[in-house]
Amino acid sequence: MVSKRSVLIVDRSEETREVLATALERRGLQIFASGRAERGLELARAHRPDLIVLDLEVGDAGPAETCSPFAEEARATQAPLVVLGSVRRNERSALEGEFVPKPYHFGPLIRKIEELLSARGSYARIA
Amino acid sequence: MPSLFVIRGNDQGARFELTESVLGLGRDSSNAIQLHDTEVSRQHAQIRRDDNAYLLCDLNSSNGTYVNGRRVRQHRLSSGDQVQVGSTLMLYTGPSGDVDEDLAEKVDIASPQPPGDESHIIHSVSQQEGSRLFDLQAELPQNSWLARARSNLQVMYRTALAVSHTLDIDQLLQRIMDLIFEWVEADRGCIMLVDPGAKKLAPKVRRTRQGLPTDDKITISKTILDYVLERNEGVLTTNAREDNRWNPAASILQLGIREAICVPMQGRYDVVGVIYIDTSSSPQEIIRKGGASKFTEDHLKLMIAIAHQAALAVEDTRYYSAMVQAERLAAIGQTIATVSHHIKNILQGIRGGSYLIEMGLAEHDESLVRKGWGIVEKNQHKISNLVLDMLTFSKEREPDLSPSDMNRVVGDVVELMQSRAAECQVQLQYRPAPHMPTLVFDPEGMHRAVLNVVTNAIDAAAEGTSAGCVTVSTEYAEDRGVVRAIVEDNGPGIPAEQMETLFSPFVSTKKSRGTGLGLPVSQKIVQEHGGRIEVSSVVGRGARFVLEIPATPPGSGAQTLASDVQAS
Repeated sequence: MVSKRSVLIVDRSEETREVLATALERRGLQIFASGRAERGLELARAHRPDLIVLDLEVGDAGPAETCSPFAEEARATQAPLVVLGSVRRNERSALEGEFVPKPYHFGPLIRKIEELLSARGSYARIA
Repeated sequence: MPSLFVIRGNDQGARFELTESVLGLGRDSSNAIQLHDTEVSRQHAQIRRDDNAYLLCDLNSSNGTYVNGRRVRQHRLSSGDQVQVGSTLMLYTGPSGDVDEDLAEKVDIASPQPPGDESHIIHSVSQQEGSRLFDLQAELPQNSWLARARSNLQVMYRTALAVSHTLDIDQLLQRIMDLIFEWVEADRGCIMLVDPGAKKLAPKVRRTRQGLPTDDKITISKTILDYVLERNEGVLTTNAREDNRWNPAASILQLGIREAICVPMQGRYDVVGVIYIDTSSSPQEIIRKGGASKFTEDHLKLMIAIAHQAALAVEDTRYYSAMVQAERLAAIGQTIATVSHHIKNILQGIRGGSYLIEMGLAEHDESLVRKGWGIVEKNQHKISNLVLDMLTFSKEREPDLSPSDMNRVVGDVVELMQSRAAECQVQLQYRPAPHMPTLVFDPEGMHRAVLNVVTNAIDAAAEGTSAGCVTVSTEYAEDRGVVRAIVEDNGPGIPAEQMETLFSPFVSTKKSRGTGLGLPVSQKIVQEHGGRIEVSSVVGRGARFVLEIPATPPGSGAQTLASDVQAS
């Protein structure tokens, strides 16, 4: 039995979580979501999602500090990490994952998530 | 333009220009100078134009009106006066006098020395030596003129410092000129500052002793100015010749004697300008006084000391203006950054809603369109709230007073916030006061004020470690004539270092969720009612906000703001 591919959304905005969840569920993905960094990390450890979307404003810490534990989880499971935020160009180098500056459009963001997931799929097949 | 500048109090930073001939000062909104200070009476004082000056008259206020620390009933304001009412301190800046005249026409720097002027230096004192006068160790005969002048210099410096915060160098220089004329019997004087760009001296203030013609030109020889600037020495000059000074037949008896003092204004780093004063003796005076000169070496020393203090004050004023300018720019930057950030988040919400609508339309799925529309609408509310808060904060608004029920106003807020509290898993309780009379206040304003505080309390309670709980209650304290709305939460509390900026606009600890306008807006509304917000908090245990306004029964005081509360 093939289990559903899953995406974890960690974003303080309930609206963003709802929009992303609605759009991605329609593409047959299972969604885990949280508005808080700590809970998000718990979900990541428990469900090992195939992709993580992280909005940097979930944490009280700076961008790099917020990002790094998720990056670690993502590395452990080889899941792509999409980072959303308004971060100065010079601070971006400290971040891991695919950075998408805010405000973004949802269409391109969802296409990027799909691309990353399918790339991971082919990577998994080759390996 | 004469003005009152608030240097301390709730209205700090406000500048009231005295444009009319009669202006009211008080807490009531009918006053041209309205102060948001509960210790100020509704109709506290009046400012009336009287020729070229302004009279400040106390209107039997409960707490009195003070000028330069002394209680006054009536006082003729002069530039630099500090006016204190309640806990508000204001600085008066008077009309600018002859500052605006074209001074270049009235002060001439002559090079070479004009024919017929035989002025020459008879004394020079180095700047260092002169300012040693200010050193208290310097021995001076007790009660000598110079000793008294010295003690006055300290007063002058303090005054100059106070004036320097009005940001107006011309006013400061006028003040310095006043002091010079008080201590030195000069006929004419002028202060010239070095223009930092052109490196040239530009006359700033000119003064003529009362009773003397004001339109004659002051001519200063460039040779003497150069000497003063280059050698950093003050000089005493006279046009009387040494050899004919005592000779009654000499020409001075026809022309009189002109003595002058010219001193450098040595600041901390540079010479910022020069001060020039002169005096003339008529032939009759010379005969009467037996030829004694009016200006002595002591005068020169005093002038050097004054010029040094003046230079420090000029430097302070320039520094202060630059600092205020920088702070203003930083505040604007901060404001724009916070507002942009907030708008960005709202935009993100609208894009999300639109995306769902598009998707719903493409898939002919009405439920999706509905969901998207809900998000768009919510963000519409957010942006209109943001605009309302910004407007409330930015402009002087009048509370829209009407007889209302505080229990109902606060109850509406609690009801409105129940769903939000539930979303955050916070219990929201309401305990209205058992007896609450109908009172006169602005129900919409108070709704907003309480709403902002309750919103914060719910957010704070949601972040606490224990189960979130917010309790809202009302109180009517008949004996003290106040009504209160109290909001308590069991959130993480407010650290002492955040207490100071709690009511500063655009300082939010809630990151993307807060506009940083909630509490400042609440405070502004409460203050417009003549009330205040009190905050207490124990870190780790929660916070308590008390919004207190004067309780005004309908029909009392023509439904204007609450009667004068006993100022505490």
